[in-house]
Amino acid sequence: MSFWEKVANIDRRWIYLLVAIAVFFPMIFIMQFPVELTPEAQQLYNAIDNLPNGSIVMLTFDYYPSTMAETRPMSIAALRHMFSKDMKVVTLSNIPLGGPTIAEDVTRSIAKEYGKEYGIDYVNLGYRANYTAVMHGLASSIESIFNADFTGTPLKDLPLMQKVKNYNDIRFILVVSDNATIDYWISIVNAQYGIPVGGGVTAVSAPKMYAFVEAGQLTGLLGGMKGAAEYEKLVGIKGTATRGMDSQSLVHFLIIFLVIAGNVAFFALRGREKGRVNG
Amino acid sequence: MVESLTFWDHFEIWLRAYLILSLFSFLYKDNRFYKMSEHIFAGLSAGYYVGLIWQTVIIQQLINPMIDEGKYLLIIPGLLGVLMFARLIPKWSWVSRVSLAFVIGNTAGIYLINALHGLIFPQLYDTMGSLTKAKGFSGGLLALVVIIGVISTLIYFYFSKEHKGVLGVTARVGIWFIMIAFGAHFGYTVMGRISLLIGRAEFLFYDWGGSLRQLF
Repeated sequence: MSFWEKVANIDRRWIYLLVAIAVFFPMIFIMQFPVELTPEAQQLYNAIDNLPNGSIVMLTFDYYPSTMAETRPMSIAALRHMFSKDMKVVTLSNIPLGGPTIAEDVTRSIAKEYGKEYGIDYVNLGYRANYTAVMHGLASSIESIFNADFTGTPLKDLPLMQKVKNYNDIRFILVVSDNATIDYWISIVNAQYGIPVGGGVTAVSAPKMYAFVEAGQLTGLLGGMKGAAEYEKLVGIKGTATRGMDSQSLVHFLIIFLVIAGNVAFFALRGREKGRVNG
Repeated sequence: MVESLTFWDHFEIWLRAYLILSLFSFLYKDNRFYKMSEHIFAGLSAGYYVGLIWQTVIIQQLINPMIDEGKYLLIIPGLLGVLMFARLIPKWSWVSRVSLAFVIGNTAGIYLINALHGLIFPQLYDTMGSLTKAKGFSGGLLALVVIIGVISTLIYFYFSKEHKGVLGVTARVGIWFIMIAFGAHFGYTVMGRISLLIGRAEFLFYDWGGSLRQLF
């Protein structure tokens, strides 16, 4: 078997091993590749930063635990940004599995760092089934959809919720999502109720979202772990996304190398095959 | 980094690490550990969703409003839901079509407005107006590329006439735009999947590693 035949028929387990090495290597030997900012991430940061201090904002945790590596750092960076500007944060989730608990866990721990009090500075509404109905219902009355928060406390007992009756009281909604719910935040809440919506999505969903940013339907965008790392940079923290980008970059180099090697092997073997047939 | 973990913290971390490593072991070859973790995941998810739907739909949105708030009209959607189970009895399965008709009609109505008002029209306006909004030569060029991309891609999906002549050339241009879009999607998908791997690797390295250091 020639060299190129070996390359073309390499056992895929060697590739898995190389990917694993590329992922773990930067965890042992810190590399700190630079994170360049995209206009979309800057736009999202500016949209939140330009809101007056103390504004009421909504942050959604529309993601499952499986995509936490990409989405959780976005939520953390956003909460740090919002709390540093003394914003009042209302969180909710349209995803039953993970979202509400991650919201509770993340928001409480970040709020503690900034000395924020539950019920006054932030509230976690939790989850309600059927997100299209939830999004439409919140426009008329939040209490009609969520009569209690995540822990079962009635909304009437939470001081913040006395000021937040519907979308009219919310200045900005940041949707952190790993699925199609963001499409509905755009097509229902932004398009039909005119509330500015920003997006933090997984890399898989990101390409589709650029059309919404261009059309002004989405105010800024964070795409995948890179987007999360950008927001961390803008907020001035070095979180898990920034740390993960070293592994990300190294694996990307490896994949580019493998794609080139695979193609060279393919054309080399095809050239040899053609030569054999002709000669 | 892990600090002063309790017994249950260690237990949780080790259980998670075991399940992650069991699932990753499939990359080498199929095995019992992988199968067991896969079955645990499937079983837990199914059980969780049954409990969740019972709590968040049946209790929260049907029983509680009827009992606590006297919203007895909710009995109608409740009955429509029950009718869906008629599918389990072949003789009575036609009854479930009543519920299905309601669901389809309702969904089509809601989603049509969302799609037209929220997606198609704003995107159409923006594409049509992109040349007038464009700033400078490069902005104009980009807007032109967008317009050509949209039109040629739409023509590629026009199948009522054979793709020949001008139609064929435009459709071939459309294929190029579709391929570029697929490339962008593939690149982002790679990043997404690697991010998931990094997430699990970080857990193994920092959390499980921290637990290991503390225990040994």
